[in-house]
Amino acid sequence: MYDLPALDASLAASIYAGKLHYAPVTGSTNTDALAAARSGAPHGSVYFADEQTAGRGRGDHAWLSVAAQGIYVSVLFRLALPVERLPLLPLAAGLAAAEAIRAVSGLAVDLRWPNDLLLDERKTGGILAEAQTENTPGAATLSYAVIGIGINVHQSRFQPGLATPATSLDLESGRYISRQELLVALLESLEREALALLDSAGAATIPSRVEQASTWVRGRRVEVHGPQACVGMTEGLDGNGFLLVRGENGLVRVQTGGIRSA
Amino acid sequence: MKQEDIQDLQQLIEFLKEHGVAEFDLEREDVKVRLKFVQPVAPMVAFTPSIAPVAALPPVSAAASVTSPAPAAVPAPSAEENLHIIKSPIVGTFYGSPSPGAGMFVSPGERVEKGQVVCIVEAMKLMNEIESDAAGEIVKMLVTNGQAVEYGQPLFSVRTA
Repeated sequence: MYDLPALDASLAASIYAGKLHYAPVTGSTNTDALAAARSGAPHGSVYFADEQTAGRGRGDHAWLSVAAQGIYVSVLFRLALPVERLPLLPLAAGLAAAEAIRAVSGLAVDLRWPNDLLLDERKTGGILAEAQTENTPGAATLSYAVIGIGINVHQSRFQPGLATPATSLDLESGRYISRQELLVALLESLEREALALLDSAGAATIPSRVEQASTWVRGRRVEVHGPQACVGMTEGLDGNGFLLVRGENGLVRVQTGGIRSA
Repeated sequence: MKQEDIQDLQQLIEFLKEHGVAEFDLEREDVKVRLKFVQPVAPMVAFTPSIAPVAALPPVSAAASVTSPAPAAVPAPSAEENLHIIKSPIVGTFYGSPSPGAGMFVSPGERVEKGQVVCIVEAMKLMNEIESDAAGEIVKMLVTNGQAVEYGQPLFSVRTA
């Protein structure tokens, strides 16, 4: 179980101070955070749970969220972020999660573009970002963004037939990893990365940092799923962080979707 | 190409001419349309099949018919109409519904308010809900579900008055 007073104390100097919302069981922390955002919840509000009964991934994918086994957290950001920089936010969240996992467990996460958290080709975490944009012509701005992160921590086995084989931090490290420590580290690194995005120089480093933290985005043969489905060799990221894939029919700039080894 | 598609195309061309749009691309499951207006009143029309065999396409007759006056049954947008275009604020993939299989956010004929969510544009797995920047009646959805859209690309036309 989480020690809620200790969490509050650990984050007292952060943007999250006094804005931690814990539920033993909820449907989806992202759904909770989005509902709160629509009701005017402030920047830095955090929604986390011990168990999700309807954890969500991209599209119609589900995220298994067994009681007390993982971190299921969603953070509401209200940032004055120019919308053209918005695609970098999910990448920055991946970098933040990888850094938190490294700091707490010593494990080196491989980011599978855009932001799956893999350990040795097995999935240990995923990120679902949802946002709303005020569409003023020529000056569109982010109203809010919700970053939802699920990380497998204590699971010792997984059901067969998952889209990507799964693992947990305990399984990979061979020891007990504290969810409490990981949650604090994760929220701290997310705050750091989100604020860095507001600075254009900081934002510009995101694609190259993802390239360094990923074995997937350059020189790897992949199959791309989603609206720009193709098969080819990865050739790095462009300035938006979009994935460049050299296929039979030329270079494809993949804006969204998932990749698998091919 | 079916008669109703040609009528849709005629309406679209009228609309684009009225708003001085120079180029327009549309890609659907079975048809690609590329319009380039070289002169204000003489659109060049090219149909490129993506799936259908070339022999099935009558490009010449279609091109001829789109330059003919619209049949009386088709209500062409009138010059007095105040049509507003909702454009995409970002590069990404357009979705007209909140999730696969769910109902559309908005449909032609429906009224929208300023600030109402009209679609999602997804980039980098970030599902970005786009608000309408005008109030009025949705006239047409100008893109298709799952289509890649560029910055500033027209998404919906809205009759504001």
